[in-house]
Amino acid sequence: MNYPVWQLGFPGGLLIAAVAVLHVFISHFAIGGGAYLVLTERRAYSHNDSELLGYVRLHSKFFVLLTVVLGAVTGVGIWFTIGLVSPEATSSLIHTFVWGWAIEWVLFFVEIAAALIYAYHWDTLDRQTHLIVGWIYFVAAWASLVVINGIITYMLTPGRWLETGNFWDGFFNPTYWPSLFIRTAMAVGLAGIFGLVTAMWEPSPLRERVVRWAGWWLVLGIASLLPLSRWYFHDFPSYSRAYFSGMYTAVHHALLGGAVCTGVALALALVFALIRPKLMNPVVVAVLLVAGISVMATGEYLREFSRYPYVINSYIYANDIRVGQVESIVANGVAKASPWVEGSADDPHAYGRELFVIECGSCHSVAGYRAMRKITRGWDAKFASEILLHLPAVRETMPPFVGDEHDRAALGRYLASLMPATPSGANEKELGQQVFAIHCALCHSVGGQRRPLDLKGTDPEGIAGMLGTLGDINPDMPPFTGTDAEGHALAVYLSDPRQ
Amino acid sequence: MNLPIPYPDPMPLPAPVWLLRTLLLLTFFLHVLFMNCLLGGTAVALVCTMRRKSSEFSVRLAGDLGRLLPSVFAFTITLGVAPLLFLQVMYGQFLYASSILIGVPWLAIIGMVVLAYYGVYFFSMKGHEPNGKTTAVLALVVLLLASIAFVYSNNFTLMLAPERWLDLYHSNASGWNLNWSEPSLLPRYLHFVLGALAVSGLGLVVMGLREREDGYRQWLIEQGSLLFTGTTLLNVGVGFWFLVKLPGPVRLAFVGGNGFATALLGVGMLLPLAAIAHLIMAKANKSPKRQLAIGVSCGVLTVAAMVVMRDVLRNLALAPCFSPNRLPVAPQWGVILLFVLFFIAGLATLYYMLRKAAVATRMRVAATQKLQ
Repeated sequence: MNYPVWQLGFPGGLLIAAVAVLHVFISHFAIGGGAYLVLTERRAYSHNDSELLGYVRLHSKFFVLLTVVLGAVTGVGIWFTIGLVSPEATSSLIHTFVWGWAIEWVLFFVEIAAALIYAYHWDTLDRQTHLIVGWIYFVAAWASLVVINGIITYMLTPGRWLETGNFWDGFFNPTYWPSLFIRTAMAVGLAGIFGLVTAMWEPSPLRERVVRWAGWWLVLGIASLLPLSRWYFHDFPSYSRAYFSGMYTAVHHALLGGAVCTGVALALALVFALIRPKLMNPVVVAVLLVAGISVMATGEYLREFSRYPYVINSYIYANDIRVGQVESIVANGVAKASPWVEGSADDPHAYGRELFVIECGSCHSVAGYRAMRKITRGWDAKFASEILLHLPAVRETMPPFVGDEHDRAALGRYLASLMPATPSGANEKELGQQVFAIHCALCHSVGGQRRPLDLKGTDPEGIAGMLGTLGDINPDMPPFTGTDAEGHALAVYLSDPRQ
Repeated sequence: MNLPIPYPDPMPLPAPVWLLRTLLLLTFFLHVLFMNCLLGGTAVALVCTMRRKSSEFSVRLAGDLGRLLPSVFAFTITLGVAPLLFLQVMYGQFLYASSILIGVPWLAIIGMVVLAYYGVYFFSMKGHEPNGKTTAVLALVVLLLASIAFVYSNNFTLMLAPERWLDLYHSNASGWNLNWSEPSLLPRYLHFVLGALAVSGLGLVVMGLREREDGYRQWLIEQGSLLFTGTTLLNVGVGFWFLVKLPGPVRLAFVGGNGFATALLGVGMLLPLAAIAHLIMAKANKSPKRQLAIGVSCGVLTVAAMVVMRDVLRNLALAPCFSPNRLPVAPQWGVILLFVLFFIAGLATLYYMLRKAAVATRMRVAATQKLQ
């Protein structure tokens, strides 16, 4: 509202997700991998194992090429991306936590310097000092997680910060500790996975030794994910815990996918790394990498989804509109609040589109991801503008529509124009089924889990009569805007929904 | 005219403006030094690999640069993060708006940095025996770095020109824009790129000062001084072009309208001339170390003056509509103190590691020479 909207043709959140998943995958490896490097080096010294030392030297070069370049730059990339997609929220985070980020920057600096010195001074530094530099790297890397974790978890559970505005209240928020542990576990697991990657370049029998050693890291990290996730989830805000009860298919699929990937990774690690390390091969390692990035992506997705309808819980909505702004925009209209809209005078359709971009575009596209065309198929303008009054009731994850009556009508007209369709059917029941799909299916199901409508056996006339008083039944229900014939057909369908 | 300037964040600034500005300028100054060495260094390396058949020293320099540039790249990025952070706190509403308007090239920076970075690592592995492939990769790296610099010039001029924002937004809201209609864009870009080449010339002089072998040392100092002098003299002209293309009130401030701005411009012109004079005089000097060091220092101070001047320019350009000094302030002193402690501890750790690495390297080189 306050800023121009970067109109990509798809929701900007997808872009953030793409950059972020790549970054967190590498950056968690950058943390666990630091400990893996020094402990492997120490192991090589204490076992007097020059082959293992050769391996860890090679691994350190791979480590630097991946983490210092791609890991670090994609981290800056997230920052660039969130500034482009959610400038209001980014600004807020920067204002609240600039000194946290400044501390993070010091750690980042030390981390990069230590990584470079560690990887390129194997032959110059004495063993003791080299190990110390390795530990400095790991401590700085993990400490940077300690800092950034406070900022990430704050967005989901700002806790007392909402009342006090105090840095530490926001930082040590309700999900801080479980998230720190779960990310540390992930870091340990990823250190193992990437340890296996470089192990594949080594000849036997060193390869088996490394595979078993890396396998322990993987198993330890992955196995701790389950109890830690339960703890983490327990501290989620109560409203978002409800999202996990099966009402959202996407969440359900993500949970299932995450669980399967974790199970697969654990089973593969047990069999191919610990029990039969000789059998470990690049294909299994590739599957582990895919499983690892999937678990990471699932975790990030669920965390982000749980924040809906907010980007910063109870403070800024997912569409970058501040909760505190809502009242004045509802009173004065979007055109007064945003200098970026051209207004409705010349072209009401274009104005409706501008409102769509501002209010819906961060999560919905017209025809692609979360396509509005699928949702608004057959809507009329009145129905659409009525729905806009009840968005949080339609989906708990949606921010309210923000704007005056004029804005709501304009956006309603635009939404109705996306996929016009007139319900028709070979018989009344088929017509009724289509009317149901257009007017009711957004919130209700017949025989499904989501707000099921069970009117089987009810007199169709009685149902048709109820259609005129929906608002009395539940104030969150928009009025039925179909024709009398459509209403009757709907009633017939609901009274006997069998095919 | 009603400008579409977003309102500043409702939260107060978490530190006094003077502290934020000091940190912004300090970290940006360090960033610029490394960035200049990176951009100029890769360009020098490119020329070296092209001259690989005719100049033995060029091959040697390519090898030396190959060892240095990955770290220079790492610190360019690391040191770039801090100023971007402090800039966002003070000028966020301008920077976010202009970034969104040029969203595609702005985000493309990330991809270009990754590519250029891997290119530099490739060169680093092959730099000691350059061939056609290294030349091609380096040419691509230089092109990428120069493009990144161009996008930065676009964004940092566009953030100062809110009067242009609405037109750009309505002509292309997908972020496929650049700030072409800015009169000072090209001279500003050229001024900074030539400056980068000049500073990398100083870098060569410093490399020469640390070199033990006479012939190579003299060659490095000569080439570095030549590069600095040539690009700087050219830059005086470009600087005037830049000045002429600044918006009227800002230009006037630099030529007498504002005492501080004018003095800065004077210092910014005298310092590089002093640097050139010292570098030239050092040529005739039998033990030129001191004179060269003074020359290099004057050059580095020029960069500092330019960094402050750039900040003054930004504030003058925004003065009609905004000043961070007018924002409410509520310093988070406790966390600031913690930052200072981390900063000191970080510097100490850095010193410890660099010193250990330097001493160990020196001992190893000495041992190798003894063996030979």
